[in-house]
Amino acid sequence: SPRFIALCPTTLSSSSSGRADEEEQRLRSDLRERFLRTLLSMTDKQVEFNMHEKVRVRARFGASDIDVLNFQVSDLETPLGVQREALLRSQDVISCSFEL
Amino acid sequence: MLQWSDRSPQQWREFVNQEVCVTARDQQRFEGRVFTVDPVSASVVLVSFLEHECPSVKVILGHAVTDVQILASGTEETERRMKSLFLPDRTQVLSK
Repeated sequence: SPRFIALCPTTLSSSSSGRADEEEQRLRSDLRERFLRTLLSMTDKQVEFNMHEKVRVRARFGASDIDVLNFQVSDLETPLGVQREALLRSQDVISCSFEL
Repeated sequence: MLQWSDRSPQQWREFVNQEVCVTARDQQRFEGRVFTVDPVSASVVLVSFLEHECPSVKVILGHAVTDVQILASGTEETERRMKSLFLPDRTQVLSK
């Protein structure tokens, strides 16, 4: 998607050798696989989201889009009540934590 | 120094398996061992092993990271422990 390309500026330049490209691609895929597995293990868990202005909310994690712009969550516990289904913009989130 | 989200996969890879302190926006600090840095969002995944408790995982979104300091180096054992939390066991026997 265009958003994905915008968020993933390639550091591969045409002048670098093919070997270096391959090495960089391998590193990228290894780091990315680990991240995707983290998201997988987060699925269906109670996650605490630490947002701006020291706002903390809890919710059950569902999924993230590929470019990590939104998180889909269920039973979001907000100061105004529980929201059954919600999307959190990742730009509003500083960190999130859960237990394995 | 290059902004965290503009660094290269090689630079991120150097933090994997290290005990670090991540400083985020609003001067919040997070400590733990780096499992990975997402190459798309530059988000850092930290794992903390606490005695008699479940391992806890923190994801600090790349856009909020301002600084990452290495506190201590990891070992093969710490790398193996982290991997066993997330990665499927590749050595499992699939047929008898």
